[in-house]
Amino acid sequence: VSVINTVDTSHEDMIHDAQMDYYGTRLATCSSDRSVKIFDVKNGGQILVADLRGHEGPVWQVAWAHPMYGNILASCSYDRKVIIWKEENGTWDKMYEYTGHDSSVNSVCWAPHDFGLILACGSSDGAVSLLTHTGDGQWEVKKISNAHTIGCNAVSWAPAVVPGSLVDQPSGQKPNYVKRFVSGGCDNLVKLWNIEEDGQWKDDQKLEAHSDWVRDVAWAPSIGLPTSSIASCSQDGRVFIWTCDDPSGNAWTAKELHKFNDVVWHVSWSITGNILAVSGGDNKVTLWKESVDGQWVCISDINKGQSAVSTITEGQQNEQ
Amino acid sequence: MKLKEIERTANQAWSPASHHPIFLATGTSAQQLDASFSTNAALEIFELDFGDPSLDMKLRGSLPTHNRFHKLIWGGFGMGSDGSSGVIVSGGDNGAVTLYSATKVLAGGKETIIGQNEKHSGPVRALDFNPFQNNLLATGANDSEIYIWDLNNFSVPMTPGANSQPDFSINRVLRNKQVQSISSRVDKKKLKCYWQKLKLNSPFIYFSLNPNRMRCSGMEWHPEVATQLVLASEDDRMPVIQMWDLRFATSPLKVLENHTKGILSICWSQADPELLLSSAKDNKILCWNPNTGEVIYELPTSNQWCFDVQWCPRSPVVLSAAAFDGRISIYSVMGGNLVAQQLSQADKISSSFNNLDPFGTGQPLPPLQVPQHVAQTTVVQPLKKPPKWIRQPVGACFAFGGKLITFDNPKAAPQQAQQLFPRQVFISQVTTETQFLQRSNELQAVLQSSDFINYCQSKIRTAQSEFERSVWNFLKKVNFEQDARSKFLNLLGYSKEEVKKKISSCLGHSLKNKDQETDTSDLEEKLQDLPDSTAGGDASTSSADFFDHIPENRPKFEIPIAADTDGLIGQALLIGSFEEAVELCLSDGRFADAIILAVAGGEGLLRKTQQKYFINQKSKITSLLSSIVTHSWREIVQSCDLGNWKEALAALLTYAKAEEFSTLCDTLGSRLEVEGDGTQRVQACLCYICSGNVEKLVQCWVKNHESSLPLALEDLVEKVMMLQKSMEVQQGTEVPIKGSVLAEKLTQYASLLAAQGSLAVAMSYLPANTNESSVLQLRDRLFHSQGEAVLGLQPPPFPFAQVQVDKGPHVAPSAPVTGQPTEVQRPTPKPFQQAPHQPGFTPLVPAQPSVQPSLPPVFSPPASAAAPPPSPSFVPLSSAAPSGAAGTAANVYSRVGMLPSYPKHPTSSPGTVPSSGPVVPGSPLRSPSYQATNPLPPPSQPGFHPPVPQGLPSTPTSTPVLQHLYSYPAGAGYTQGPLGMPSLSFTSTTAPPPPPPTGPRDGWNDPPNVHGMLRRKKLPENYTAPAPITAPVMSFPAEPQPLHSQVPSAKEVVFAPPGAPKEASMQLEKYRPQSQLPAEKIERKAIPSEHLFLKTTFDKMVQCCYLAAGDPQTKRKLDDATKRLENLYDKLREHTLSPNILGGLHEIAHCIECRNYQQALSIHTQVVSSSNFSEISAFMPVLKVVMTVANKLNV
Repeated sequence: VSVINTVDTSHEDMIHDAQMDYYGTRLATCSSDRSVKIFDVKNGGQILVADLRGHEGPVWQVAWAHPMYGNILASCSYDRKVIIWKEENGTWDKMYEYTGHDSSVNSVCWAPHDFGLILACGSSDGAVSLLTHTGDGQWEVKKISNAHTIGCNAVSWAPAVVPGSLVDQPSGQKPNYVKRFVSGGCDNLVKLWNIEEDGQWKDDQKLEAHSDWVRDVAWAPSIGLPTSSIASCSQDGRVFIWTCDDPSGNAWTAKELHKFNDVVWHVSWSITGNILAVSGGDNKVTLWKESVDGQWVCISDINKGQSAVSTITEGQQNEQ
Repeated sequence: MKLKEIERTANQAWSPASHHPIFLATGTSAQQLDASFSTNAALEIFELDFGDPSLDMKLRGSLPTHNRFHKLIWGGFGMGSDGSSGVIVSGGDNGAVTLYSATKVLAGGKETIIGQNEKHSGPVRALDFNPFQNNLLATGANDSEIYIWDLNNFSVPMTPGANSQPDFSINRVLRNKQVQSISSRVDKKKLKCYWQKLKLNSPFIYFSLNPNRMRCSGMEWHPEVATQLVLASEDDRMPVIQMWDLRFATSPLKVLENHTKGILSICWSQADPELLLSSAKDNKILCWNPNTGEVIYELPTSNQWCFDVQWCPRSPVVLSAAAFDGRISIYSVMGGNLVAQQLSQADKISSSFNNLDPFGTGQPLPPLQVPQHVAQTTVVQPLKKPPKWIRQPVGACFAFGGKLITFDNPKAAPQQAQQLFPRQVFISQVTTETQFLQRSNELQAVLQSSDFINYCQSKIRTAQSEFERSVWNFLKKVNFEQDARSKFLNLLGYSKEEVKKKISSCLGHSLKNKDQETDTSDLEEKLQDLPDSTAGGDASTSSADFFDHIPENRPKFEIPIAADTDGLIGQALLIGSFEEAVELCLSDGRFADAIILAVAGGEGLLRKTQQKYFINQKSKITSLLSSIVTHSWREIVQSCDLGNWKEALAALLTYAKAEEFSTLCDTLGSRLEVEGDGTQRVQACLCYICSGNVEKLVQCWVKNHESSLPLALEDLVEKVMMLQKSMEVQQGTEVPIKGSVLAEKLTQYASLLAAQGSLAVAMSYLPANTNESSVLQLRDRLFHSQGEAVLGLQPPPFPFAQVQVDKGPHVAPSAPVTGQPTEVQRPTPKPFQQAPHQPGFTPLVPAQPSVQPSLPPVFSPPASAAAPPPSPSFVPLSSAAPSGAAGTAANVYSRVGMLPSYPKHPTSSPGTVPSSGPVVPGSPLRSPSYQATNPLPPPSQPGFHPPVPQGLPSTPTSTPVLQHLYSYPAGAGYTQGPLGMPSLSFTSTTAPPPPPPTGPRDGWNDPPNVHGMLRRKKLPENYTAPAPITAPVMSFPAEPQPLHSQVPSAKEVVFAPPGAPKEASMQLEKYRPQSQLPAEKIERKAIPSEHLFLKTTFDKMVQCCYLAAGDPQTKRKLDDATKRLENLYDKLREHTLSPNILGGLHEIAHCIECRNYQQALSIHTQVVSSSNFSEISAFMPVLKVVMTVANKLNV
């Protein structure tokens, strides 16, 4: 692991999320300073493309939509709003604002592009909202109330796979995807949701293992295997990998990746789904990989690269 | 938001933070009686289960007690090791401190009390655990005595202040609530703090604060700053919370005032020091930010006093409040909506009565009407300030190409300015497969350098297994060496030389003998004789024998004609009947004879004989002989024993013809694959290598090797690429990659490379001729992720069906989002195709050749239009212009060369078209923002073509101006060169602004386009206002001035007056106030042609002055003059000036033309003295100023 680019965001307060777009050429960051910034980081550069103002509270997360829908970014904030931004001819503009939550919106996640333009939002009011673009600038809102009592902290979509025929699927006909997503919340639960025949979302699985708030969940990208994997991390310092070989998706088993000494804030899968990045409250980022015998092994400790940076800043601080 | 409720009048204690699940212990309160006047007391434990949506909490353990409770706390002593739930400590009457085992209470077991002591006298109201050493307990009671207990030895307490202190290992502060003021015997005004340092085994240090006449109801240590604490006053006259620092113990640091009555309880969140909870007798529960003194949350509470509030240590959003109304309520501070819970509560109350017929009236009761509590049904807001625990400080997530985006936030002390830290995001490259990458790089290098042989050689050297080595050997030979086939033979263990040697060693002996007996020529002779002598030759089966025996048989010659076989053969031969002779030989088993005869008997016979021979003869070698003789290689390949595949392959290598060679190899290979055992299946690969069949090789390899692991895949790809290259070398052309398996593997390989960050390399492996969506997607992604690195290539088609997502009508127009200036310049390539203005120009040019196309619409008075046409486009337009001007100036500048030609060929439309070129850099800048903000289809295009006739009437009037304008460069101003250039360039930049409005405006005036007008009317007001403003304002000063002014001043003059903001972000606010001004101006008619002379003259004079003026003061004067002269022009347009003023002005203008400023000034004085002051006051004074300046500067 080597740092190839350092982007000075000029945010005036804590950064809470930083996400690259589909191609890895643009970086969106959001911060407690209420702004969302977009940088062009092509070829190691950093050009501020847009500074999006519109939130009235700290912005927690940003999420890029698939490029087939154009350049679209969703952001969510403590101000209870979700804003969907769109670039038109080089100008970023607010496209849609969702104000249906009663508390801080903590997480946004776009569904796989195959499903259409759907955004899941998790909020501290305990609800999860699903915003579906229905054309003509209209968005259909479905709200799952009380998905997680006292707050939902994270949402993550399952990759688009067809059950039963996970590897080979007949081409030509439109595959019958099963829409599923996972959420984690302050009730220490990881919940799996799928859509019922009547179009309602239902939590068909509750995964219990954490003993404190679930801070983040991440559904691993599909790598063509029939196994689904979900990573979840918690305030209790534990990271679990949930796997399911069952095509119906009901038999989940948990494996503890590691117990950290501090809260684990964030988990992220690599695009190829074989590496998990875990970031914790001790400002540490570790990378984990499943070995051939199924054990999760820490392959890198990124803190080394950045500790230098943080000590420098501490040093500067001491001088002042 | 209320989460749970317990119907108890009780003291409460949360389970420790480390305890899971979350419990709340309640002990019947000693201070009050409940409604039933029950004297029972109990210690109960409830579980906080968020999975249950109801308001109830599950009772997990209950213990009846003798005493009621004054204070309850729950400590983590003994927790962790054996699943223990810690210790609950209660303070009761009579100085009793009781320890309960929480575990046992939960289990419902006996011996729940693990310790009791009545050292105190009076009720024990203060209890606290040492947060660092959970075996240390401090207690305080009415007797003003404070004890510190060690739970490991509960019998004897320690008294702070005494000399014999046990060794406290406290690294910071003993976080005690050393209290209290309730008893009259304790000094209410003093608060004592004790602590002791670990190293210095010193006695307790005693501190005393003197909160002025304050009755202290609560005290809390700062969770992070060791010397700070807060005190709450229960005095109704002074309901404040004071924040103290022991370092400045004379007065409080801060006083938090908001409660209207005395404060009963406070609690400081351990999770976020900026959250301090307080409850007071005014029925309020407030949450403070003690650092700012701001109330950031107010709990919607009941009408009862809440005597105790506590944060839940484990779940920081949760707090509990015990009230005198007999309830303990659990709240969340994050807000939410309670409707669902409200309903369930109503149901519960309803059903608690017997709804059916409780009073025997024969009628069921109607459902209970539960009054809707306003505070609960409305949406509860979360904390005003985002709490610390929700602010994610660190993150890491992956992006395409194995990149990892990380950020962290260095922990800072709360008081320190956050800006000190650079807010950085790191983009790192994650490479997990270093070996894979290294090998891939090697391969890449080889592929580029074409140094294949060495590569193979090194691979052979390092090969781990025999098979691996042979594979590489094959690859190497086949392909990159001459005479490949014989090399293959060598590889298979059949070297020509060696075989020859072997044969000769086998034959050697007899040959030597022969040499000794006869010389070679002799032998030849004999051989030549052979055909003749065959019939008589002894039947010998082996050739060796045959040779040996010939000489011996020589002397005898006899033709047998007996009736035995020999005889018959002889007879048959004699009559020339070879066939029968052969037949005879064969039936007699004399094959050699038969064959020799057959040779003589002709081709057909020979073949037949051979066949028969092979049918009859079943020795090991025959099938080989048979195949070789009959050239039926297929047979070898198809029927040979697979154990002999090497031999078969060798035979193929030796004999097979080039054209059928590869098919035969393939056949052999597939046989090996299908029929062979384990190792043979693998070795089929060798066959495929020989045949150069890449696809088959891959298939076979994939079948027999694990290939999903990166290194295995690398193994495969190395081979495949080598084979591929060799085929290319052989055939001299590029061999396209075909086959789905190969494509799949290469895609896999490419995506692996991509995941490791080798984007360019990955791209080179992607199969080109496929429509596999995964490949297309990967290519698209690879291409774009490389940014400019691959600019030379055509971007691949977008592999997804593009979905157009429009902006909905929901968006409030009042929230404009502005891009950064950098962004403004970016979009130039795209808008070129989209800008609708450009085509719109061309029809205009021929119609009014000498007029710059953009101008007429500006002057055209929209006679009918009352309201200015709303053109949303304009908001960003104008804002973009100034910021973009600097950026585009360079572009424009370079194109200036085209402009001078403009006046020279005014009528040639081809000539004028390029002159509108400079317009382009401006218009793209606008069009994007135009489309971004306008939810309606851009009206400019439909509106633009019809206007031509409309614009015509107005253009004649403006023509002179323009001609003047454009002829001017030829004059003095232009010859100045450096000055003239920028001014020219400026014309081109200022010219663009008018076009955008022309579209909409003309559409507005144009009768056919009424629909568009109506539609536009519906637009929100704030769009309409700014739209038209800039058009006239900007264009007006733009006409005359830019020619004379220097670039910087021109910017000021031209752009600044209309208030065009220099920063894009200022737009709306800036424009709105000006909306009235342009609303008038938009209706302006053109200046009557007879008076146009005035305008040009005056403007010219101002310009000349401007150029000549050295000091900024004069320039400012001139700027002002320019503005004020507008008043004059307005009046000219409106024909409101009296004839004598007009006459005077004309005279003045003529004098100015002649530079006779003295004369002009005197006329001026006359006019002023003879006219109505109000009519001329707006412009005459300034005209004088300008003339004076002009006179002084002598321009």
